[in-house]
Amino acid sequence: MNAWLPKSVAGRRWLGLAPSYFVIGIFMLAPMVIMAVFSFLEPNPYGGVKPEGSMAAYVKLFFEYDLEDKLVFNPGYINIIFRSFQLSLGATLACLAFGFPVAYYITLQPENKRNFYIFLITIPFWTNLLIRTFAWIIILGRGGVIETPLLAAGIIEDSLRMMYTDGAIAIGLTYSYLPLMVLPIYASLEKLDFRLLEAASDLYASRLEVMTRVVIPLCKPGIIAGSILVFIPCLGAFIAPNLLGGGKKLMLGSLVQFQFASARNWPFGAALSMLLLAVVVVVLIFYARAAKKQAAIAGGS
Amino acid sequence: MITCNGGKMTTAIDIRGVTKTYNPGSNRPVKALDNVSLAINDNEFFTLLGPSGCGKTTLLRLIAGFEQVSGGEIMLFDDEIENLEPNQRPVNTVFQHYALFPHMTVAANVAFGLERLKKPRSEIEATVERVLTLVKMKHLGDRRPNQLSGGQQQRVALARALAPSPKVLLLDEPLSALDLKLRQAMREELKQLQKETGITFVFVTHDQEEALAMSDRIAVMSDGEVQQIGGPTDIYEHPVNRFVADFIGDTNFLDCEIVSIRDDLVTCRIGRENLFEVENTGGHTVGDQVTLFLRPEKISLSALDTKNGPDTRPGKVANIVYLGNQTAYTVDMGDGIELVAQARPREDGKLPFAFGEQVAVGFSTRALRMLAQ
Repeated sequence: MNAWLPKSVAGRRWLGLAPSYFVIGIFMLAPMVIMAVFSFLEPNPYGGVKPEGSMAAYVKLFFEYDLEDKLVFNPGYINIIFRSFQLSLGATLACLAFGFPVAYYITLQPENKRNFYIFLITIPFWTNLLIRTFAWIIILGRGGVIETPLLAAGIIEDSLRMMYTDGAIAIGLTYSYLPLMVLPIYASLEKLDFRLLEAASDLYASRLEVMTRVVIPLCKPGIIAGSILVFIPCLGAFIAPNLLGGGKKLMLGSLVQFQFASARNWPFGAALSMLLLAVVVVVLIFYARAAKKQAAIAGGS
Repeated sequence: MITCNGGKMTTAIDIRGVTKTYNPGSNRPVKALDNVSLAINDNEFFTLLGPSGCGKTTLLRLIAGFEQVSGGEIMLFDDEIENLEPNQRPVNTVFQHYALFPHMTVAANVAFGLERLKKPRSEIEATVERVLTLVKMKHLGDRRPNQLSGGQQQRVALARALAPSPKVLLLDEPLSALDLKLRQAMREELKQLQKETGITFVFVTHDQEEALAMSDRIAVMSDGEVQQIGGPTDIYEHPVNRFVADFIGDTNFLDCEIVSIRDDLVTCRIGRENLFEVENTGGHTVGDQVTLFLRPEKISLSALDTKNGPDTRPGKVANIVYLGNQTAYTVDMGDGIELVAQARPREDGKLPFAFGEQVAVGFSTRALRMLAQ
């Protein structure tokens, strides 16, 4: 036994875990603590922060100073947060609507083909999200892939003006995060005992009832995990809102990015991030509860 | 082939020339069922018996509708059902591994079929209670399947399949996952349940003992074909071929040559001096190679020094397998013939014969049977 090793079992266990504590500390806790601290400081007009404590960033979330320097309620940022929720929810539902059938289809394939299809699902991750989102400008934009043939065929007479709308943002978000919905749903469907489907149809369930009564309840954990994996990054997304929403229709993520990059109000950006973090924590608590309930059903007692 | 035991028989399921081929288009098609025809009577306990891969489960799945026939017809009473979806066929299945819905309680599992049939709530509740009582599971209606033992899950699976009052109940090796004692108890119960409900049971198994104990009639299958259909005693005592004789119970086979034929007796010979007389079933000529079969329990062994009858012949004990309630002796008869015989233990528990001992082997002519090849 080396002399420098701690004598106690607890001490040695701590030493063994030290590398993971280090990684979690440096890569997860430290940035979050810095963010939390920054959100309570004064902004430096030339970028960064001044070391003076202030609640100004949090006040700014809800209020602004009018011409007479009085604090008045400002719904502007609240609206952006609300819009972010709406768009993220819409994108999550769209991902679910498209992702579930895809995952189900893959599950039904012979085993040797399934891995290939899963591989195809992950291909988009090989290219930069920015570039892939730019591609949607070509698809949706004026004189783009959708409009040009319709114009040529005389079906439409003017541009559809699909770009720079909430719809365009929702499409971009759905596209970006669809694989994150497919993969967890596939993981839970793959464990599904397909004899249960036979049992259900044997007991007079129609194809739809087999889905709603057996398949969907049993892969609920996958659906919840996929929804969270899509919903949370959607809230913080800024590439799709900036490129497809034209930067006019702001979302929470683009607002944060704007505070750090252009507006030079780091504390306000940090405060917005903290708000986002709080929302994510609430969603995750909801997930943990649902998962616990599911585990109780599966595990008995 | 229908054995009537009084009254007119209606046919519940009529399988007409059913063929099932897997991967039909590929270069390696697998023929699971080849032109199978059989009729299952109403209110009958019918067993499909055979080794794994014989097509018995495939046939059951074709009746349930989980697989599509490649050819032929399946009639349920007077309706042609082979093209219907499983949920349109008034038959229910008890699955081998039960396939209970893990996210539902026992009562919800049992109610599932009735709810799909849009029965009124009050009727569903009454039926669920009735069938759970029938399988002695009423007190566990609120449990979930994973809180139950294997035997209890088995009962729930049975209740779930019985609840919608199917015209035919299909059972796919439902007892195979249970331990021996429970399996034997469930045999009795299943047989009883069939009598009480009056529902036609189609039971799939590879266990010949199970089949003999429960069935009104048995279809022995092998390589996608029906080898023989008949009652348990028919199948056991009068197997039509070597496969059936071998699959049902232990059997001695004697390959021999016919040396003489009289009115009612055929004499066959093995080697130079071993002659066997067997009932003349006709259709044979002197010089034919035939196979005789003899069940071990129909051979009596006795000590050679006692007054041996004319039917006995000498042999030497070549192997002993102790089975508790009986002992299987392999007796060397010379000319390369070995017969397995069963002997009960003596009352003091000692084995009646020792290894290498000379014994007198006796069996009557009627116990020997000639097999069609």
